Amino acid sequence: MLRTDPPAPTAPATPRASAVRRPLLLAAGLCALVLCAALSLALGSRSIPLATVVDALTGAAHGGDADVVTGLRVPRTLIGLTVGAALGVAGAVAQGVTRNPLASPITLGINAGASLAVVAAIYTLGLSQPVEYVWFAFAGAAVAAVAAYAMSRRGGDLDPVRLALGGTVLTVVLTSWTSALMLASHRTLDEARFWLAGSIAGRHLDTLTPVLPFLALGLIGALAVSPALNALALGDETAQALGVPVARIRVVGGLAVVLLAGGAVAVAGPVAFIGLAAPHLVRPLLGNDHRWLLPGCLITGPLLLLAADVLGRLVVRPSEIEVGIVTAFLGAPLLAVLARKVAR
Amino acid sequence: MTALDLSAVRPARTLARRRTRTALWSLVAAALLVLLTGIALGTGQVSISVWDALRALFGQGEPGDVLVVQQFRAPRVVSALIAGAGLAMAGSMLQRLFRNPLAAPDTIGITGGASFGAVLMLATGASQQLIPLAAVGGGLLAALLLGGFAWRSKMAVTRLVLVGLAVQQGLAAAVNLMIVRFPAELASSALQWTTGSLYGRNWTEVWIGGTAIALTAAATLLCQRRVSVLDLGDDSAGGLGLNPARDRLWLLLLTITLASLAAALTGPVAFVALAVPHLVRLLAGPPTLGTLGLTALTGAVLLLSADLLVLHVIPVHGLPVGAVTATLGAPWLLVLMIRQGRLPQRSS
Repeated sequence: MLRTDPPAPTAPATPRASAVRRPLLLAAGLCALVLCAALSLALGSRSIPLATVVDALTGAAHGGDADVVTGLRVPRTLIGLTVGAALGVAGAVAQGVTRNPLASPITLGINAGASLAVVAAIYTLGLSQPVEYVWFAFAGAAVAAVAAYAMSRRGGDLDPVRLALGGTVLTVVLTSWTSALMLASHRTLDEARFWLAGSIAGRHLDTLTPVLPFLALGLIGALAVSPALNALALGDETAQALGVPVARIRVVGGLAVVLLAGGAVAVAGPVAFIGLAAPHLVRPLLGNDHRWLLPGCLITGPLLLLAADVLGRLVVRPSEIEVGIVTAFLGAPLLAVLARKVAR
Repeated sequence: MTALDLSAVRPARTLARRRTRTALWSLVAAALLVLLTGIALGTGQVSISVWDALRALFGQGEPGDVLVVQQFRAPRVVSALIAGAGLAMAGSMLQRLFRNPLAAPDTIGITGGASFGAVLMLATGASQQLIPLAAVGGGLLAALLLGGFAWRSKMAVTRLVLVGLAVQQGLAAAVNLMIVRFPAELASSALQWTTGSLYGRNWTEVWIGGTAIALTAAATLLCQRRVSVLDLGDDSAGGLGLNPARDRLWLLLLTITLASLAAALTGPVAFVALAVPHLVRLLAGPPTLGTLGLTALTGAVLLLSADLLVLHVIPVHGLPVGAVTATLGAPWLLVLMIRQGRLPQRSS
């Protein structure tokens, strides 16, 4: 909504120091991620010792605890890793393409579009399983994003400010329609409200497999445009002068965001703030260079999502809080802090 | 909205012409208001002519008509009028105080706070009568959070709006949590409070809400001179002997109360507060005391028209009025903003 340009990438003071520091930080992040994944496998309404988890993974252990690990927590953790990574990268690319530090997949109306499509599908077709929602969510996300892009076209190029504004307005409209549908039918409300909260619980891997090709394609697109995003941060004219095809980069980047965020919302439902937070947490550590920012987000995204999911399982044991609600609760103060920094 | 309002230094003729235009549009809006009220009171399963419906509102005419109009239709119509006027006034004031065309009770989290308060009251299982009170409390809570996070010795506009967004998101998460945890019946009522609708209003609510909104609106009108001086910019206002930071704070508090009261009556009806001030600016120029009256009238007319659409034109049962205002208001606002290039600037 409010646009403030991020500082242009600056050359690090001592190139050699950062050449060592960045890989080290990435490795540290990776270790934290592995730890988090282990916790995600071990903790929950029923805590399982790590030794049993390892035995279950290698197939050495059988019985109750091992079945919980292999049947429930492994799919959940894998889905969390994938969704988190997709959201983190999508956020970084969205912020780079729109040159707006407050942009995120939500700004494009992706979550709202997916929500409306899923609620409409539940209302008309009477679906009741997350695995049945996948295609509707993906289609809704794509349509909403295309609509947001269409609104922001100007002379063949995308106008970042229009994109942010249009996406926000689109979100409000789609959300009001979603509410209207849910108010019209109790059954729809009862089915949809759990999905709408955003959760990675109770899903099998067959929810994830259909969207994996899209996520992979989105990731390739994101990595392909990441060097050009550095030039884009200097402003359209400068980037053009440097020989970067600005319009084409925006289209490819936008497409990558839609594929990644659309795939994520199709699997987990609307999970907010991961896409916004991951780039902001990575930037102070790795700098503004998108070639490092993207891998950083690839690690930070799943780290945040899994940490939030584990936290949601622990606070109200034996029940649990949906991961989407936990991220929203944690993300709100973060956004407030960010606002202070941005609007200094 | 431009950072500096130059209406005070314009030649007197322009000013006079603008005043005439404001007065004319106010007359049009008032006439529309009466006509639409008559139509709204007269339409339904029992059809009553516009004139008879208006007479029945004041207890004249056939007893059957009076019963239908006074007991069943009037509370809803009057709620729409009051809430529309209150939201529009609050929106106009917020846009001036924040000097940001996107500032509105919706965008800075006030109406979100009102939903939170109402839903929280539903969760405790308290009586229906307490819910509007809780909504006002929620709105003020949102304002407190906003102030707590964003307050510095000077108020930076961008920061306030962004922190408002954060407050909105946090409170929405809390509401979402309750909706997921509630039994299905209660979840539906809770959702109703996040969308804005006019079903099931009764006279008690209308009287209490209406009186409170009228008092707050009157206080807002009395402060207009001060707002006009603040429009000149903090430095100029300071030079003219005001304490800009303190005055702005008090005016904000007043405006927030107004918005919360309106949201307590209907729930957060989207886009009325955001769109009406822009419409009025288009019709009658930059905001003054006179246009604030026009803003209130326009808000009332628009919300009532949207509700008429919901009740008698769109064949969907139980459609919340907020869905209609969002659908109609959003594209219009978007086109307006893009066309005028009045996009959020890097301010403060």
